[in-house]
Amino acid sequence: MAPLDRRAFLSLVGAQAGVAALGLPARAAKSDAIAVAYSTDVPTWDPNARVLANAQSLYKCVFDSPINQAPDLSVKPSFAKNWRYRDAASLELELELRDDAVFHNGDKATAEDFRYTFLERPKAPVPQGGQKLDTSSIWRRVKDIEILSPTRVVMHFSEVMPSAVTWLYFMGSYIVPKSYMEKQGPEGFLKTPVGSGPYRLAEYQRGARIVLEAHDKYWGGAPKLKRVTLEIVQDPSARVAAIDGRRVDLAVDLPIREIARLGAEAGIVGSIDSITDIVIVEATRTGPFEREEVRLAAHHAIDKQAISKALFGGKAVPIDVPAAHKTPGYPENFHFAYDPNKAVALLKQAGFGPGKPAQIGFNTLSGFFPNDFEMAQAIAAMWKKVGIEAKLEVIEAAKYQELLRANKLPEAMLYPWGNTTGDPEMYAGYLLDPKSIFAAWKSDDMGERIQRLVVETDPQKRYAGYREANIYAVEKGYTIPLFQGVKTVAYQSSLGFTKYDNGWILPQSYTLKA
Amino acid sequence: MIESGFGIVYRRCLVAVPTLLVVSVLVFVVLRLLPADPLAMSLPPNATQAEMEEMRHDMGFDRPIPVQYAIWLGQIGRGDFGTSIQFRRSVSDLILAALPTTLELVAVGLTLGILLGIGCGVLMFAWRGTAKEQIADLGSVVVMSIPEFLWAILLILGLGVGVRMLPFIGRIDAQMTVPTTTGFLLIDTLIAGNLPAFLSVLEHLALPAFSLALGLTPLIMRVLRSSLFDTYVEDYIALARLRGLSERRILLRHALKNAALPTVSLIGVQAGFMFGGTLLVEVIYTFPGIGNLMVQALRNHDLPLIQGIALVYCVIVLVLNTVVEVAYLRLNPKLRKA
Repeated sequence: MAPLDRRAFLSLVGAQAGVAALGLPARAAKSDAIAVAYSTDVPTWDPNARVLANAQSLYKCVFDSPINQAPDLSVKPSFAKNWRYRDAASLELELELRDDAVFHNGDKATAEDFRYTFLERPKAPVPQGGQKLDTSSIWRRVKDIEILSPTRVVMHFSEVMPSAVTWLYFMGSYIVPKSYMEKQGPEGFLKTPVGSGPYRLAEYQRGARIVLEAHDKYWGGAPKLKRVTLEIVQDPSARVAAIDGRRVDLAVDLPIREIARLGAEAGIVGSIDSITDIVIVEATRTGPFEREEVRLAAHHAIDKQAISKALFGGKAVPIDVPAAHKTPGYPENFHFAYDPNKAVALLKQAGFGPGKPAQIGFNTLSGFFPNDFEMAQAIAAMWKKVGIEAKLEVIEAAKYQELLRANKLPEAMLYPWGNTTGDPEMYAGYLLDPKSIFAAWKSDDMGERIQRLVVETDPQKRYAGYREANIYAVEKGYTIPLFQGVKTVAYQSSLGFTKYDNGWILPQSYTLKA
Repeated sequence: MIESGFGIVYRRCLVAVPTLLVVSVLVFVVLRLLPADPLAMSLPPNATQAEMEEMRHDMGFDRPIPVQYAIWLGQIGRGDFGTSIQFRRSVSDLILAALPTTLELVAVGLTLGILLGIGCGVLMFAWRGTAKEQIADLGSVVVMSIPEFLWAILLILGLGVGVRMLPFIGRIDAQMTVPTTTGFLLIDTLIAGNLPAFLSVLEHLALPAFSLALGLTPLIMRVLRSSLFDTYVEDYIALARLRGLSERRILLRHALKNAALPTVSLIGVQAGFMFGGTLLVEVIYTFPGIGNLMVQALRNHDLPLIQGIALVYCVIVLVLNTVVEVAYLRLNPKLRKA
């Protein structure tokens, strides 16, 4: 661009000041570009390195996963056109790959890239002081990937992995280009990441800004929105201000109380949607919670409907087992009643009563998911009414993990659990398996049930088994499921927004209305 | 003993080494005594206990704290601050990428704060004994009593959302992209010859820089006014009046320079605090500086990154103190060598 002379400079300054003084928004939206106030950044642009749940939508913009999910969570082909186990033991998973997938640098995505992503990278030795890719844990049971042709591969497993297909559309499973990665090296790749997804990364400022531009050669067709600027706004109030001030077209993860107000404004749509994440009270075998009666009393004492109405405008869907409704592991005919009288009776059986309340520790995060602290306060108040005195303490997520690993969590912990797939292994399979590093409750009886299921290859038997295991866990008081998570968004009515039942925010599915 | 500017820099460099060592020991030990697992947030849901222990071993977190510290110190000696657990990138790269944003923001905030502070201080002194002085005094107390992050939010609500006058997200308009040359967007936009982008950067800097400046302005204003009162009882002011100089000339040409010394010391101290203020202001305005990076590191208990940024903050404060000391020397002829 040619440098401007002094006169032009002063004119522009004057014009800009004039526009500002008139109170007009400086940002003029283009017909195929949007700005989004987003809550989190990617930890790294290596999509196989880390598996943070909140970053998955961002990765899905730039990278392709072998399999994908539709807005209603039905499974659909992506880089893989179809897939099947080719042996009775389910140790050989054959996938047919697309022949029209192209990386942003123009290279064709092939079976070599698939093998590199799911075998060579995860198994590569780690330099001293370095960190393994998260995919090395996820795909540890892959012993080989056989390339039958540039579009045909077979994943060979050392042990059965019934959730393998699910993992192919879950966290960390994104195809990266082998030749580009090897040529650039890991650091070079992070500076200019290349995927085969619907958008290419045009600009990145860590913790502040992600600019995506449409990938014209995307096999699914170039996205309608050609440019998407994601402003990483960590502060919820600032995200509210961003949409309120019309600085962005879409803002996500907003405080519940603001949604109704924003939705009432002309030109803004506010929505609170139930998603497949869940919120539970994790129980531990500690203090009064060693008694089954006390754990069950704690569950019977919680009026989930009242909490949903008071804190989420009734939009948080109560759950009776640790899974989301309409997912394969959810027993729709099972109900765990809100019954404070029964809670009092159970506590009496365990030797507790009005004069001798069951005293427990109750930890919660604050500001980690919508209304978490308020929810914990409400639960503590409901417990108090029946004779459970909870000492509520707010802790950081990192401290929670430390306490969990050291088996030092108190009796109860309010915690959210993310699962975009709906697969029951990603709920109970990790939350209730005593071998899992994420399980707060550890008991052999639950472990036996889960261990049978993590090797069950018949999907119907597997799902039925998880439904039974979920009911068993709740009836024993091993977990106290509360609600499905909620996703809050507000967007300008000119935006054609597509809601995903798992809360994904995918601009490739959006349009701008004329 | 009277020192030269070079002498001050040399002495400061000597003091900096033990200071940085003490800070590094404090930060390192305190972080490791906190009850939070640095690796806990960086594992997939199907990871096993054995994989977790393996990772802990690979990263050296299973070694005694003194050994970990010695290894880290050795790395720093080689210019390697380690690798961020959360971002899986070199800590040095992360800090170097973020630093220009913070320096640019603080430079603009500091300039704005100094200009406003001196301007208002002089005005307040000129209004001495009038109702205007009382109002200005009250105003400065109100401004001082509100912390920077709250100013940040109030300014967003007032000028960003209320009258929609100024932007409050990021460093530049969402539809603009400027090639990164220095990381300082004001400079990069000029290098690119992109004036609309330059103006957009200025607009985006306005609110966060003003939020930071508001922490400094009332302090400068009050200290300067107080210094001016002290200066005005000096003989040379009376002499200037006898020479028939105008009150305006006496104030601006003679009194201000002599009254500026305590203000310079104050600016040096407050500039250090201003860097601290960037932590929340950068988060609120989505500025990708080291304050924002520090908040992310703290949230994720990313020990190598927290340690690296803490040391950088320490270096910045030491440099600022040195600069102020040299500036003080330049302004005060009594301290200069004959």
